[in-house]
Amino acid sequence: MSALLEIERLHLELAAPGGAVPILRGVSLTLAAGSVLGLVGESGAGKTMVGKAVLGLQPAQARISEGALRFDGRDLTGLGAEERRRLLGRDMALIPQDPMTALNPVMRIEAQMTDVIRFHLGLGREAARERALALLAAVHIRAPERVLRQYPHELSGGMRQRALIAIAFACRPRLIVADEPTTALDVTVQRQILRLMKELQSTAGTALLFITHDLGVVAKLCDRVAVMHAGRVLEAADVAEVFARPRHDYTRALFAATPRYDRPADALVPVPADLTERLLAEARTYDEARRRHA
Amino acid sequence: MTRRDAAMLEVRGLGLTLPDRARRRPFRAPPLVEILGGVDLDIGRGDSLAVVGESGSGKTSLGRTLLRLLRPSAGSIRFEGRDITALDEAALRPLRARLQMIFQDPLSALNPRRRIADSIAQPLIAYGRVAGRSEGRRRAAALLERVGLPPALGSRYPHELSGGQRQRVGIARAIALEPALVVADEIVSGLDASSQAQILTLLRDLRGDLGISLIFISHDLSVVRVLCERVLVLAQGRVVETGSTAAVFAAPRAPYTRALLDAVPLPIVDPSWIERSSADDVDPQSGKGGCGMKIAGSVALVTGANRGIGRAYVAALLAQGARKVYATARHAEAVADLAKAHPGKVEPLALDITDPGSVAAAASRCRDVSLLINNAGINQARGLLAAPDLAAARAEMETNYFGTLAMCRAFAPVLKGNGGGAIINMLSILSRVNLPLMGSLCASKAAGLSMTQGVRAELSGQGTQVIAIMPGAVDTDMSRDFPPPKMPPGEVAAAALAALEQGVEDVYPGDMASGVAQGLAGDPKAVEKQFAGYLPG
Repeated sequence: MSALLEIERLHLELAAPGGAVPILRGVSLTLAAGSVLGLVGESGAGKTMVGKAVLGLQPAQARISEGALRFDGRDLTGLGAEERRRLLGRDMALIPQDPMTALNPVMRIEAQMTDVIRFHLGLGREAARERALALLAAVHIRAPERVLRQYPHELSGGMRQRALIAIAFACRPRLIVADEPTTALDVTVQRQILRLMKELQSTAGTALLFITHDLGVVAKLCDRVAVMHAGRVLEAADVAEVFARPRHDYTRALFAATPRYDRPADALVPVPADLTERLLAEARTYDEARRRHA
Repeated sequence: MTRRDAAMLEVRGLGLTLPDRARRRPFRAPPLVEILGGVDLDIGRGDSLAVVGESGSGKTSLGRTLLRLLRPSAGSIRFEGRDITALDEAALRPLRARLQMIFQDPLSALNPRRRIADSIAQPLIAYGRVAGRSEGRRRAAALLERVGLPPALGSRYPHELSGGQRQRVGIARAIALEPALVVADEIVSGLDASSQAQILTLLRDLRGDLGISLIFISHDLSVVRVLCERVLVLAQGRVVETGSTAAVFAAPRAPYTRALLDAVPLPIVDPSWIERSSADDVDPQSGKGGCGMKIAGSVALVTGANRGIGRAYVAALLAQGARKVYATARHAEAVADLAKAHPGKVEPLALDITDPGSVAAAASRCRDVSLLINNAGINQARGLLAAPDLAAARAEMETNYFGTLAMCRAFAPVLKGNGGGAIINMLSILSRVNLPLMGSLCASKAAGLSMTQGVRAELSGQGTQVIAIMPGAVDTDMSRDFPPPKMPPGEVAAAALAALEQGVEDVYPGDMASGVAQGLAGDPKAVEKQFAGYLPG
């Protein structure tokens, strides 16, 4: 399989009053077409920023200072707004964490779906509506006609997330970035949403960059996993390999810090503070070396 | 471990009803909705109890009721030997210091304009435990250290802290008054894995050191295992299962608990987990299940079993191998002959769906029901049509509507506990006739919302399949004017049960709805007039 997405030594920093703050420190990742890559790490590790950089949705004060982002061999870092607009929604799409804020509260689901379809595929109103109905049926919504007429607040969390998944898959993109799409859901609903994503992903041949802090979800859904901390990828390999033989201390610590209902209470050990300190010190040393080099 | 002899909190038959704001109507008291029913629990000094369930199961309401932030509608709560069920605010105030809560979202629970140390000291000052602000701050500094934060953090504001730090502050404030019982509601669900682990281990240590009893509310069963010796599984406001966490998680008895556990993704590589589905794995939003429900071997409850369509259901159920049928009617004598004809198969039962007491009694007696056929509803349209005036007609419809909702609510946990279930709702005729028409017919938001949708909404989160079947074609006079003509009750029952087995959501035997829809597409005013003709005055 060829690499659909290649991230090479990506450095990203945020402009701040006291000088630029490094967020990503040389992230390198590859995602093969049609495969699922899990990106795990705690809050602040930079995993969401990787997803945003791929989609070109990083905040205005962010600057990619070094490195390359290639999608299907094409450089993404130098894309203009218009080219980006053609790419987003058609070739790559986002499934965000919070479906309520991602949907427009004053637009019916129909308009939110057909806008994307009409813009990218050039379909007429009726054809776009047909497509939207088919998509809602594909995400197992029973009464698609009714849902099209509804506003986001009239749907439950699980239904909203289904609608967003339908929108993301609307143009059969080759890459979807899913940022914690099930974190806000009950476990029973989570499982249905994961099943749905897996099903669509494998039938449409879409590659999935799945951002999460839940190693359990990674174990069930992903082919490969990358563990991030302080803007660096500490370990990246096949899921089976990482779960069987985690190589990095931090990966091992994350496993020990994951609560499990099948383990006694005292099996849980938080990530040791000295390990976190060590990793942060490494990151600082890295920044220092780069600064001197520059 | 637990010392059960010293029951610190003793709860018996706890019930909670709240006004249903979704169904409020102008100038009237909103209808009540049952949030909790028949909850028993005991917590000894230093015990920890987890309350788990899906969203909408009533776990947050239970926590709030135990702390008497809500007033229960039934049952009793005894705290340290004293009955606090009906105490008023003034009498509760001294107790509040001993009953504390940690909230899910610490950012919204902390005053954004107050420094952290002042927020922590505030309860100490309010209860006169410290002489003044400076002593309050000193105590706050000690409490911050106790929860693993640098005391210097006390001079910061909530927005300057990380999620994990804020949750520690929430804990510090909760333990400031040295409470006997702390209720923690989803306090780690907003945190990432590593902050979660820190907060969980902190609480575990604090509980041991301070001898605090803990009620830990969560939807995450893995998290619960870390902290609680006992667990209580809640579904639709009722206790489905309770016991030691290790035992319940190792060998769950209730299908609902099993489904919850099975849905937790353990960090074990297993790509087939996603495709596997358990019996209860039904989408609560759409009511869609992997498959329909089996009639053979089921235990059914049929309302209105004395009349034509009800009798047809009983016969069809027995013919298709149902294990047992509760045949219900307002008066049990009306169905006595059914029981005589099918000894051991049919159990007659008096049930009036418009009487909450009668519905509750039936729900607690018939715990083995897996299929509810609510056949009362609008089939009393004769009563509706015979009403002397419009107000009486509205009242009749609303009685039926709310009666049906009450049935659904009462039986939902029973159905779910028995591995999912199904409800055949006989109200859909009017829901399918379009909303403005319903509005003019009933002039009530409840009916305007459309009855079927109301019933479905009532059961969302239940995993209960709802089959809507239009009864109009059967035995109301409305069928005169809409194609096609009447259908024999036996055919309607067969169509509904087939739909149930196939997992189809809406059935319209005879397809009268399309006749109505056509009429509305052509000349809505004419249809409206026609319907108005059914109503008196």
